[in-house]
Amino acid sequence: MEFKLEAHRIVSISLGKIYNSRVQRGGIKLHKNLLVSLVLRSARQVYLSDPCPGLYLAGHPGAPAPPQQPEESAAGPPAGWGEPPPPAGRAAWPEPEPQPERPAVPEVLRAGDSEPAATVTAAGDTLQGGEAEAPEAAWRRVEGPRETAVGGAGGPAEVSGVFPEGPEAARGPCGCPPGDEDKLSAAPRVDGCRASRPAAAEPPASPPVCARKRGAGWVGGGPADCPAPGSTPLKKPRRNSEEQPGGAAAAAEEEEEEEEMETGNVANLISIFGSSFSGLLRKSPGGGREEAEGEESGPEAAEPGQICCDKPVLRDINPWSTAIVAF
Amino acid sequence: MLLSLPALHLQTSEHHPLFQLPHGRLGPWCSPTGSPAPLSCETGCGEGTWILVCRLLVPTQVSLLSMEEDIDTRKINNSFLRDHSYATEADIISTVEFNHTGELLATGDKGGRVVIFQREQESKNQVHRRGEYNVYSTFQSHEPEFDYLKSLEIEEKINKIRWLPQQNAAYFLLSTNDKTVKLWKVSERDKRPEGYNLKDEEGRLRDPATITTLRVPVLRPMDLMVEATPRRVFANAHTYHINSISVNSDYETYMSADDLRINLWNFEITNQSFNIVDIKPANMEELTEVITAAEFHPHHCNTFVYSSSKGTIRLCDMRASALCDRHTKFFEEPEDPSNRSFFSEIISSISDVKFSHSGRCIMTRDYLTVKVWDLNMENRPVETYQVHDYLRSKLCSLYENDCIFDKFECVWNGSDSVIMTGSYNNFFRMFDRNTKRDVTLEASRENSKPRAILKPRKVCVGGKRRKDEISVDSLDFSKKILHTAWHPSENIIAVAATNNLYIFQDKVN
Repeated sequence: MEFKLEAHRIVSISLGKIYNSRVQRGGIKLHKNLLVSLVLRSARQVYLSDPCPGLYLAGHPGAPAPPQQPEESAAGPPAGWGEPPPPAGRAAWPEPEPQPERPAVPEVLRAGDSEPAATVTAAGDTLQGGEAEAPEAAWRRVEGPRETAVGGAGGPAEVSGVFPEGPEAARGPCGCPPGDEDKLSAAPRVDGCRASRPAAAEPPASPPVCARKRGAGWVGGGPADCPAPGSTPLKKPRRNSEEQPGGAAAAAEEEEEEEEMETGNVANLISIFGSSFSGLLRKSPGGGREEAEGEESGPEAAEPGQICCDKPVLRDINPWSTAIVAF
Repeated sequence: MLLSLPALHLQTSEHHPLFQLPHGRLGPWCSPTGSPAPLSCETGCGEGTWILVCRLLVPTQVSLLSMEEDIDTRKINNSFLRDHSYATEADIISTVEFNHTGELLATGDKGGRVVIFQREQESKNQVHRRGEYNVYSTFQSHEPEFDYLKSLEIEEKINKIRWLPQQNAAYFLLSTNDKTVKLWKVSERDKRPEGYNLKDEEGRLRDPATITTLRVPVLRPMDLMVEATPRRVFANAHTYHINSISVNSDYETYMSADDLRINLWNFEITNQSFNIVDIKPANMEELTEVITAAEFHPHHCNTFVYSSSKGTIRLCDMRASALCDRHTKFFEEPEDPSNRSFFSEIISSISDVKFSHSGRCIMTRDYLTVKVWDLNMENRPVETYQVHDYLRSKLCSLYENDCIFDKFECVWNGSDSVIMTGSYNNFFRMFDRNTKRDVTLEASRENSKPRAILKPRKVCVGGKRRKDEISVDSLDFSKKILHTAWHPSENIIAVAATNNLYIFQDKVN
């Protein structure tokens, strides 16, 4: 338990450092950021390997009950999730989501469907303020905007509307990895795409949506299924890891994820360094993100995303998305 | 422009003087008489002691800059300064280096300035002033730059200074920031020509019609003026941040190392360099280590070493191939699994590597230890010295406040018998390799009286704290000694503590 807390803390600190290095004079220091990413990886490994389900790291009150459901819901998809993509493909988000993964998502959504509308609207209401959100509610919120994004549907109403039938209807390849993004969690484009679509849909709420969603997703991932949901996104940018179960069930997958993490961890950050930092150090987050998106998204040219998270919020949200967003 | 060319065979010219050390002249550092003196922490002053020669503080350059520069530069500097708690951040010394005779001491600071100190000449009238260093020359070596293509600000902080051996009346040194290396010529002018025909004394042209007589200009003495001129600028060769420069023993070439590449330069050619090491992976995602320091062998102009962030040292021979990606020797110590932690990789990253003057050993500094390696033994160091092992339990806090990324340097004394490195709380440590004794000294204002004797310090790691000891928790981590230098032949050391330069020498009876 202590290791998990410690690991989580170290992950947060590390991401803060990476984010701050963006604005430091003299540009990104490759050496320091490499070391920070190694620490991140170690901390993540510890976090994943510490078998301690139900630990609610965010410290939200009222956590005990909720963690159960996401766990169950998450239990469904994992089996369906495909193998980690070959490293070569890592840099380019896959366009259409691989079919095998699709069915898994609907499972999650169905599990969450029990209270989609309520959740979403609740999300809308509580987005701005609510700290103490149940992880599962957040979980569903995560799904919601994704569906919106995937379906390309605009308008707040559609968020809820789409949601129930979301899985099936919105699943069609939209030519843009938003479908992946949810799983990705770590991609700047996650913010970007998500933000852009929901932003079009509900401009005021979307940035907070993104923030809360991701934050909650991270939180939800944490307590609910231990490491996997929250942290797998860390590893595999485009993995559908969020729905991964924690601990034992996904042990095998975790192995692969770990391996991916080996390079995935450094990969995401270093691939950015590899671009000689061009444009990544722009102070404007939008510009920065745009660049990062361009880096990693490859073909699909999403509209430049709005940064939907403030710096302080970023620290609380999914660390990997933070990291990538930072660049 | 970087070129890869077939192997370049460097000849050592016969006329280049080989730098000879006066071997055998130095005894153990701790005693002027040559016999080892007891290092006793309780009694404080042993027979061998270090005294403060002078503490040098260069004037803050904030006022200088604001007077001279234009609005834009001032804005950059002011905004930079606003972000930091103290206005003299630009004065923080970032490198210290004696020249080959020890007569000159150069410091570089974060503001891009180089200050050169000269040793006071011995005179019968002022015997005690021998050994003091006074300001000899000050010049702005590097300015802040902005890379517009990459939207990157390039810091003007001087990362390293390296002297060239003196070959004429002028002094030459290399100074580098993150991206550009410059060769500076520091020369004295104590005469000026007077008596021109076409110009008057102020330099104004005279009307030829008014000239009735001709005279021959003569050189008349003037007040000594030391001028520094940039003779070469070696730019645009490094994508990543330069961390080391090293002058080759042939005195014709030098190398500059950044995080992923090492380039070989000829002093005369500024628009080309040879890339001799390139560890950049084809896929940056696979990056696992970076170059942290590099140095040429003191005698063999074909040999150099470079250290990595993984705690390994590679020795390369340039005769083997043009691109020295394949090392000749690989020095690595297996990791102790019992010490594994989140931060194992960080603390194993080597921050400095130095050849011994003899060229038979290398010394490396990582976060907690100094290690001495024999070039003939690659699997482990011959000596390991714990600098501040009491920090091992505090790595997490040090990670949070970024101290764990501090890059400490290490130096040999002239005879390779003592090694010195810095620590926190303005402490610095010396290790005598022969007697296996070590001492912790402090460079602080309290000891700032001239000729004040340095008292050995001790850090209490737990349990009962004795009177003079300092507990680990009361160490000031903002006061760190990263840069030190040792006179090449005498027991004089220069210690940089933030913006102060302390010069200590071994007390001579």
